[in-house]
Amino acid sequence: MKNLKIKCLFTFSFFLISIFGYSQDILSKLDKEHSKKTIYQIATFKTSRIGLGHSTELRKKGALEISLFNRFWNLEEAPEKRFIVDEVNIRFGLNYAITDNLTIGGGYSNFDKISDGFLKLKLLKQTQDSGKTPLSIVYFQGFSHRNKSDFIDNLYTPDEIVNTEVFSFVSQFLIAKKFSRDLSVQLSPTYINHNKQFFKDQPLHQFALGLGARYKINGHTSLVSEYYYNFNPGHSVATFNPFMFGVNWELSHLLLQFQATNTRHLVESAVITQTQNSFNFKDGNFHFGFNAIFVLHTKKNKI
Amino acid sequence: MNKLYIVLLFSTVFVSNINGQNEFIARQGQISFFSYTSVENIEAKNNQVLSIIDIEKREIAISMLMRAFSFKKDLMYEHFNESYVESDIYPKSTFKGKIEDFKLVDSQTIIIRGIITIHGISKEVEIKSTIKKTKKGYLINGDFNLVVKDFKIKIPSILSKNIAKVVSVKINFQYIPYEESKN
Repeated sequence: MKNLKIKCLFTFSFFLISIFGYSQDILSKLDKEHSKKTIYQIATFKTSRIGLGHSTELRKKGALEISLFNRFWNLEEAPEKRFIVDEVNIRFGLNYAITDNLTIGGGYSNFDKISDGFLKLKLLKQTQDSGKTPLSIVYFQGFSHRNKSDFIDNLYTPDEIVNTEVFSFVSQFLIAKKFSRDLSVQLSPTYINHNKQFFKDQPLHQFALGLGARYKINGHTSLVSEYYYNFNPGHSVATFNPFMFGVNWELSHLLLQFQATNTRHLVESAVITQTQNSFNFKDGNFHFGFNAIFVLHTKKNKI
Repeated sequence: MNKLYIVLLFSTVFVSNINGQNEFIARQGQISFFSYTSVENIEAKNNQVLSIIDIEKREIAISMLMRAFSFKKDLMYEHFNESYVESDIYPKSTFKGKIEDFKLVDSQTIIIRGIITIHGISKEVEIKSTIKKTKKGYLINGDFNLVVKDFKIKIPSILSKNIAKVVSVKINFQYIPYEESKN
């Protein structure tokens, strides 16, 4: 008798389950069907540079970035003042994404006569479910050739400069985390190697640490800031740690950056080790930066 | 007694199976949208749309992940997800509605009326579609228009000429009998 009761109860519950299963909302049935595929975080910085240096952002395969970086500044003692456009340094650059995880690029800056090239390799991609991969890591390798010192004909005595032609190699690990939809932070341990001394007594092996961040203020605009701390700067010429803050603005294919900074250089090796101004708003120290990046998709996805 | 019990148990399984036969699922449904303006044409497609139809109740449900849309240009994909539909906050878009005038014939034109939810905002829509009976299940094709402004998707005024005010949407689903997936 007891046995029968248990059976009846079991059957009833079984019946209930089957009915309940059936009467379940069809929309909630679909929720269970969604694939559990890993979703990677997108738009950590959106632009391939934060401001001074590179970000962990890489374009997708086949994308060509055409970029024009400008720094404008006033001379300390100029015969006549033009609104922060006494002098200008312009870098024309091209980047090409060979694969989703590998980008190469290069450029030329006209004022400090630096030719540069670089390679960026994505090692780790942050996932949206932060438990899986909490960070993005990109390896950056750059090389540059500086052909002229900008102060031979300017402010300083040429005695301080021992070589006017220097090759520099920059290796960085760019480590970034998108903390929320608005805030992304990047840490960039940097090693720079010069083949010759540029300034007298300048170390040939230099180490630096970069800190950069982006804060989104609306759908298309974000505030950015970046700073590099140089652990062993040279002592014969006063060099300062580069700092910038600015606004990044995205307009479909065009990415614009407006920034205030103390460096007039546009290539990492010079920015980090050869910035000769401290950050303030005096003439000669204040630099206005305007970067324009146009993204051209040479390969279009078939959809 | 025991035999009766077993029969009863099996019959419930059978009944629930019969119930299941009313439902058909599409796991690789396609939804594409088009925005045509004089400045720029934008086209995107999602090949992993899920949908269930209940033939008896005349109900239809659609659910998709916004991140599964693919664009011709990759930067558009980023802008779409980050700046427009904000797929980190609203990862899914859903639709739930009724199939009207459905007569279970081989092929006919139907109207699907229901509520669509995109970017966290629900709107009533009407989808003009055709339904065809196939060997295994059903095939539904349809199209409708959506007004971008209705879903509180912010477009900067400088780009307002690049994105159409009304976006046309096409749907295409192939249904097979529903069985719960194993994962």
